[in-house]
Amino acid sequence: MPSSETNLADRSGHLIETHKGYDPRIVSFYFLLAALFVTLIAGLAYQQLAKVDEYADAERKQTQRRIFFPGPRGNIEDRHGNLLVGNRARFSVRLLLDQLKPEVRREQIRIRNNFRATGDKDVPTRDQLMQLARVSVVQRHLDLANAILGRTEQVDGKRLRRHFERELLLPYTLLEDLTPADYAKLWERLPVNSPAQVYTFSTREYPYGSAASHTLGYVGATDDVELEDFPGEDLKTFKMTGTMGREGVEKKFDSILQGETGAAIYRVDPAGNRINKPIQQVFPKQGKNIRLSLDIELQMAAEAKMAQNGMAGAAVAIDIATGEVLVLASKPDYDLSKFSPRISSATWQDAVERGALFPRALAGAYQPGSSFKILTTIAGLRSGVLTPDSTANCPGFFVMGRRFSCHDGHAHGDIGLSRAIEKSCNVFFYKFGYDMGPDIIAAEARRFHFDRPTGIELLDETRRMVIPDPEWKRKRHHQGWAGGDTVQMAIGQGFVLVTPLQMACFAASVARDEVWTQPTLLHQADRPRQQTERIGLRPEQRAALINAMEQVTLTGTARILTEGKLLPKIPGLRMAGKTGTAQNQSAKGIINFAWFIGFAPVENPQIAIAIAIEGDTPGEETGGGLYAAPVAHAIFKTWAENKNQPAQRTLQFKTE
Amino acid sequence: MPFKRFDQARPFATLTVIVIAWALVPTAVKTFSRASFFELTAPITVAASKVRDLQEYWSLRLHTTNELIQAGQDAAHIASKFEFAVSQNQELHAEIARLENLLRLPSFSDYRYEHARVARRDFSGWWQRLVIRKGANFGIPVGAPVIFTGGVVGRVAEVRATTAIVELISSPGLRLAGVIEGDDRPISFQGGVNATFAPPAGIVEGVPLDIIATPALPKRLVTSGFGGVFPPGLMLGTVTRAAIGSDGLFQFGDVQLDERLGSLTEVTVLVPLGAP
Repeated sequence: MPSSETNLADRSGHLIETHKGYDPRIVSFYFLLAALFVTLIAGLAYQQLAKVDEYADAERKQTQRRIFFPGPRGNIEDRHGNLLVGNRARFSVRLLLDQLKPEVRREQIRIRNNFRATGDKDVPTRDQLMQLARVSVVQRHLDLANAILGRTEQVDGKRLRRHFERELLLPYTLLEDLTPADYAKLWERLPVNSPAQVYTFSTREYPYGSAASHTLGYVGATDDVELEDFPGEDLKTFKMTGTMGREGVEKKFDSILQGETGAAIYRVDPAGNRINKPIQQVFPKQGKNIRLSLDIELQMAAEAKMAQNGMAGAAVAIDIATGEVLVLASKPDYDLSKFSPRISSATWQDAVERGALFPRALAGAYQPGSSFKILTTIAGLRSGVLTPDSTANCPGFFVMGRRFSCHDGHAHGDIGLSRAIEKSCNVFFYKFGYDMGPDIIAAEARRFHFDRPTGIELLDETRRMVIPDPEWKRKRHHQGWAGGDTVQMAIGQGFVLVTPLQMACFAASVARDEVWTQPTLLHQADRPRQQTERIGLRPEQRAALINAMEQVTLTGTARILTEGKLLPKIPGLRMAGKTGTAQNQSAKGIINFAWFIGFAPVENPQIAIAIAIEGDTPGEETGGGLYAAPVAHAIFKTWAENKNQPAQRTLQFKTE
Repeated sequence: MPFKRFDQARPFATLTVIVIAWALVPTAVKTFSRASFFELTAPITVAASKVRDLQEYWSLRLHTTNELIQAGQDAAHIASKFEFAVSQNQELHAEIARLENLLRLPSFSDYRYEHARVARRDFSGWWQRLVIRKGANFGIPVGAPVIFTGGVVGRVAEVRATTAIVELISSPGLRLAGVIEGDDRPISFQGGVNATFAPPAGIVEGVPLDIIATPALPKRLVTSGFGGVFPPGLMLGTVTRAAIGSDGLFQFGDVQLDERLGSLTEVTVLVPLGAP
């Protein structure tokens, strides 16, 4: 009888499959499997090792974002350090959208459930639901700020949608332009961990409102906010809106004033929401400050006086020794504080309609009228056509092809050079101007750089100035030069066109007895005295000219400056000058341009001035003595008052 | 065998089940549990605090009679000074009332002063908090300002039946609008990240550029009253450093807080009486 163990072995022999040796077909499969496995491993290794940089780069591009923050602009100061353009804090409440994700999701569910609960069949689409949830959540945060500040602001759905689609990484602005008190309330009462937080940004501030608006200029928004050598050029980059100079000093010196951009790289989730602190960060820095040569007190004195008669015009004052521009005013002007942080269309339209954007001081080309007689005198004295003792008979008119009347139609009788300047006798200059001829006058004008821009550091200076001569007229008007053109030119009429800035430079040059004054808007405490070619008058000739110019302010056409009737006297200040009243044919009729150029003190010239006022009523006498000289008086007076007390003129900073 | 193995793993399985169950429990239940736990432990905290008071009482009993006489004299001096201050305050209050009446201004909302003993202090890096022995039973509301003789202590963060938790001004979770004493421009104050045994400190932002603050020339920072939570003029700390910020508009700096914040035994809660 077989044992049970034997039986078990026998039985199992039928059930267990055994292999003796290798089946070649199976072995080939082993090789096939091995080959496939090796291929797989190789592929994996290739993907994981050889292409690691490629994938890491792709992952980096997908999970990292760059943000650029513009740095605040530098300040603009006047020559005494008074702040003309600075930055002020602009407080706003902003919402960090990336922190709203769970809240929005919950709100979406709530809204959908509400629709279902009410049995409304018109259930919004997923996209609509998302938008509704976003608006609802953002409104909730806005309501919290509203409650603290007592406001009733509403979320702009379209703006919010646009922000979500384009600028998810940037905070969404809930409230702007908050007062410091509002800021304090929100700072204290908004929860620390709320997605809505108060932020401080800088915007341009103009402590003097519209003063020197054309010179200072304004800024506009720009997205061109860059930071060189900051890594991640290939990353998706968001840029906070920056500012760029659009006019005036802001534009010319934009590269200096512009702050250094800050930047950060953030890690984001698949939806683009920011995670944790920045991986890399560079803080923004404020731009460099600029100190202008302007003297804000003189500037404001000039502008205030110009504003009294409400006429358009320009005023320029120059430091005679250095050429630094002390006043550069144009009217009408615009309130710079209304141009920042942005210009409303109504403000812009108003400025355009008033002609307030036109910087007349350096872009306005005017006939200089009788103020040009100073140049004609210099030309005459240097050429020998005129001497200090020259005289002419003024019957009140001069005939040269047609009848040219004298100043105010007066007949001055026999009149010498000094008195001709003092009383602004046209006939005297008609005669001697004609004797000189156009080429001598034009050559002298070119010596004084009247035929070219001054090159001041502003981009608005016109190139439309004209110093005519026969050649110019032939080319421009295809006509021959007439005797009448010469006599007109001699008194600054006809084709002659100059800017107020040029006339101020001319006045400074005459005061310094040189032919050219290079104006500059930048202040430099140790700027050397300018030195150019001497005018070339003999001492007695120069004395005659300066004495005549002083007589203009004492008993002549600008006696308003010193007689103490309409304007207060300026004690101890001797002034020299020349008025002008140019007649300009406009569409409305003949309009006068009132001029005054001059300098002071006569014994030691320090400040030179040119004023041009545009008459606004055809046929009305807008004389230089009555309209332009008072503006010069305001500048001279303020200058004389401040000259003796410089210590009180600098801005007093509060110190604790 | 399998049963035995399951027995060995039972604690882990139980823990897993509890964790899952806790995760699934509604938020309301969790909140209730947390509040209940706090209320249950509150009597222990209060009792411990009272025992400490008792200890202090008996330790004071050990002072000699001469010491007590000296302390009494000192207290009398201080009391006389306070008497004078109180009379001055009354005069000022009368003057304010007269001016408000003259200008037809509504009277400022006033506060009820609720003095409370400190039951527990927690100055870890995470929690800059105090537990005081008064809560809803004394009508203390969330957000009420808490002060002591040295100025602001903090703000009531949570209120329980018999206790309340005060978030200290040294906590990063507390922000206030302050002003430099004598100035009226608001400055943002926030508690700093304070190490456990370090002196309490905070930070300021938005300090005007013309304010100069150095360790040698510190500036007193007081509440502005702008936020409507704290009355103006309460001492917050001293600004010991101010440096210009990256925006070039303002300075940021450090604030040194009163070191007595770490050893407070009694505080006063300002309970608003409500605006008129």
